[in-house]
Amino acid sequence: MNSVVCVKQVPDTESVIKIKPDGSGIITDDLKFVMNPYDEYGVEEALKLKEKFGGSATILCMGPSRVVETIRTGLAMGVDKAVQLDDPAFEGGDAFATAKALAEALKGLEYDVIFCGKQAVDDDLSQVGQILAELLGLPHVSLIQKLQVADDKKSAVVDRQVEGGIEVLKVLLPAVLTTQKGLNEPRYASLPGIMKAKKKPLDVKDLAALGLNADSVGCNGSKTMITKYTAPPERAAGKIIEGEGPQETAPKLVQLLREEAKVI
Amino acid sequence: MNVAVYKILGIPNFILLAIAIIVALAFFINRVKHLYFILRIGKEDDRFNDIGARIMFALKRILLQLCVLKDVTAKDLAGLGHAMIFYGFLCFAFSYLFMFGRGFIPGLSFHILGDTFAGYFPLLLDIVALMVITGVVWGLLRRYVVRPSRLESTPEAAIIMGIIASLMVFHFLMEGFEVNIDPHETASMAFIGVAFAGLFNNMGIERTTQEALFIASWWIHCLLVLGFMVLIPYSKHLHLILAPFNLFFKSMEPRGALRPILDMEEAETFGVSNIEEFTWKQLLDLYTCAECGRCEINCPAHLSEKPLSPRHLIHDMKVHLLEKGPHLLGGNNGSESGTDAQAEAAESGYDGPALIGGVVSEDKIWSCVTCGSCMEQCPVCNEHVDKIVDMRRYMVLMESNFPPEIQAVFRNMENNSNPWGIGWATRADWAKDLGIKILSEDSNVDILYWVGCAGSFDERNKKISTALVNIFKKVGVNFGILGAEEKCCGDSARRIGNEYLYQMLATETIEILKGYNVKKIVTQCPHCYNTLKNEYPQFGGDFEVVHSTEFILDLIEKGKLKLSKPIDKTITYHDSCYLGRYNTVYDAPRKILQAIPGVNLVEMERNRAKSICCGAGGGRMWMEEHLGKRINEMRLQDALDINPNLISTACPYCLTMFEDAIKEKDVQETLTGKDIIELTEEAMA
Ligand code: SF4
Ligand code: SF4
Repeated sequence: MNSVVCVKQVPDTESVIKIKPDGSGIITDDLKFVMNPYDEYGVEEALKLKEKFGGSATILCMGPSRVVETIRTGLAMGVDKAVQLDDPAFEGGDAFATAKALAEALKGLEYDVIFCGKQAVDDDLSQVGQILAELLGLPHVSLIQKLQVADDKKSAVVDRQVEGGIEVLKVLLPAVLTTQKGLNEPRYASLPGIMKAKKKPLDVKDLAALGLNADSVGCNGSKTMITKYTAPPERAAGKIIEGEGPQETAPKLVQLLREEAKVI
Repeated sequence: MNVAVYKILGIPNFILLAIAIIVALAFFINRVKHLYFILRIGKEDDRFNDIGARIMFALKRILLQLCVLKDVTAKDLAGLGHAMIFYGFLCFAFSYLFMFGRGFIPGLSFHILGDTFAGYFPLLLDIVALMVITGVVWGLLRRYVVRPSRLESTPEAAIIMGIIASLMVFHFLMEGFEVNIDPHETASMAFIGVAFAGLFNNMGIERTTQEALFIASWWIHCLLVLGFMVLIPYSKHLHLILAPFNLFFKSMEPRGALRPILDMEEAETFGVSNIEEFTWKQLLDLYTCAECGRCEINCPAHLSEKPLSPRHLIHDMKVHLLEKGPHLLGGNNGSESGTDAQAEAAESGYDGPALIGGVVSEDKIWSCVTCGSCMEQCPVCNEHVDKIVDMRRYMVLMESNFPPEIQAVFRNMENNSNPWGIGWATRADWAKDLGIKILSEDSNVDILYWVGCAGSFDERNKKISTALVNIFKKVGVNFGILGAEEKCCGDSARRIGNEYLYQMLATETIEILKGYNVKKIVTQCPHCYNTLKNEYPQFGGDFEVVHSTEFILDLIEKGKLKLSKPIDKTITYHDSCYLGRYNTVYDAPRKILQAIPGVNLVEMERNRAKSICCGAGGGRMWMEEHLGKRINEMRLQDALDINPNLISTACPYCLTMFEDAIKEKDVQETLTGKDIIELTEEAMA
């Protein structure tokens, strides 16, 4: 049973995001990057499959050299090997262009299941998994919370949470599955795992290695374009109403609610 | 009377005695050798540095009996009893040289040391024997009638007590007979011997019978002594032999410094999951335990009905060591421990319980708050906490096996350098409007104020940080903070067992501090204080570290800070483990309180070295408390018992734990919690 987990490196959710002055993107200098939390469920599930059926787990990750740290996190958890897609040409791609490159890389890999996080917590697009399945001509199930692979490894039964209940589906393998919280509890890498991860194979591929041309990936291959980022409006500071006891403060509050906030 | 040549069944006594001694010694040595070879299974540990200081320490603790007298209280006088038995034992050990000597050297008596000595020493022995008997009776009463929780009434204890009492009785009998048959040998000052002699004469016992009875008592006395000697290495009285060694080999490192894992890149296993992976000194601790229970009755985990008792922890591991040890010796106990292959083959012969999960349950391992009270109270200076942390290290580093809520804490420390997981870039937000120097902008400061995670991120504790800044400003201290460059000191990570994460945080921080050429650091939190002061030197971080209470007291004593606004309150102070027991800062916070006009300082019953942890140490701050009672509420009760208006602390964890307990017990109306820093600020003129 071989699985490939598509992993994205994202800024830690607690990061203070600063937008570039021209609004074209965010400033990444000071950011702490981590593995997209939804992808971690995919990594954990791939490891579980490996433990149960044997085979291998592979991470596929697109990004500049800084993503190696995230890849190593997955390797430390127990993933066997990784492929990194690193080429300036990939930069600025939308979901489609990204999926396109991933799909091309996947053609050279063995897999029975491809996992993607249900969405990346940075852009929240929730598209790569689905587009990837289309490009590869594979079935896909999104937002899975439980996975049972049949003993013959030819199909799987998956649960997904739907409004008011659980939907149980059978899907033929290979398939693309997007993972959701509740699927499992991602493990914490052991120290021997961290040490071993430093020596595990990491295959770095550029545009040429994938046999794609620069027009089909990155900005050029994108169907959508980000035109501008703006920060949410700053919240005004709260007001403290001064006064002796409610007799004095309550009328002031009512007045303010009526005249300033205009809510009553 | 010539004991040496007295014949029994035609064989002279000296031959019989020699045989008895040889047999006893054979048993004794055999057992000691066995224990020694098992001990050698343990890993390396260099405990031979600073020999002079080690000897002094051991001698002081033993000869002055400080080991047991240091914690004698009106409620627990057992230490006095021990001291009585100990000094008695010394006197008798000396007299036994003569008793056995007489079996070989005809006419040997105390007279060879002068007539004065021969006159007074028997008197001393009689007095001591009385004391010892009193001690034994008292001990028996305590064990079998009073039954304090810390002592267990084992048959072993009864046998030993019985032997000690019999030794004394036979001492009197021997003396009594000898006064009658050899009056000049025994001085008449031995008043009990003389009384017994009179009694025997009154009973009309013949002289020849008295002679035979004397020989009989001498023999029984000798055999009891030999029997006792053999029993020592089979029982908890092993501490008679090993306590001096254990004290000698005690760690000379600061108590607050855990042993680092040094070869993290190379090692294949981390921590301890097999008894033989402990160091020989850790194993020696197990042997030396006297099962006195002092650790247990002061252990907050035990007191709050969690499964951990440090006494049982040590004892269970000792039993396990003695069971598993022989298998590890490959059956040839006595010779070298052999090759690894041999050892492994032998180990497969052991099918008893595993150390973690079997001998020591996981719940016990996680129950410890690393408060250090067990180590503080232990008369033989056992080191419990490093054993618990070693097992945690195995569980965390090798198996990622820890309470589930801890995973997020580790991640938070990794990604945002604080256990709460709040964005690291916002660390200095609390200080935004205070106009404080940040070292990255201006590193020309005398003092680095190390704020710590709680002081930076926890709403309640941020107020304390601000208060300390106000004090600094008032006095005109030239200080700065690291701002967003500050990271978690790593105390919790290390004590939970994540040495890897700890070393990552520590080495990064040391680098930063060195980069700014920092010399002196003031910390607000005792955990940061202990880690920076005692543990960073292990990784090349040598800074002068002082706790805020020490710093403030210094300002007061130098007259730079005047506390003149009265605070009319009855205040108690709760000792933080890492400030008190680990670093012996007991007085600074108390002196500050006393310097504030109007403060009525009252002490909880358990204070200073006997203070009970708030429940948050050892990384327990970040774990759920599923088992037993809540430690913070137990400690709050100590305060409620003495009815203060305010409970003062010098540690952000303690304050958090108390404020939680105060809310839980719904006593906000009458009791509040405050940090010493806040009180200082309030009282500032
Ligand atoms: S350190 Fe404290 S909690 Fe841990 S065993 Fe010792 S006394 Fe108990
Ligand atoms: S470990 Fe120390 S304090 Fe605890 S029972 Fe043993 S000797 Fe007593």
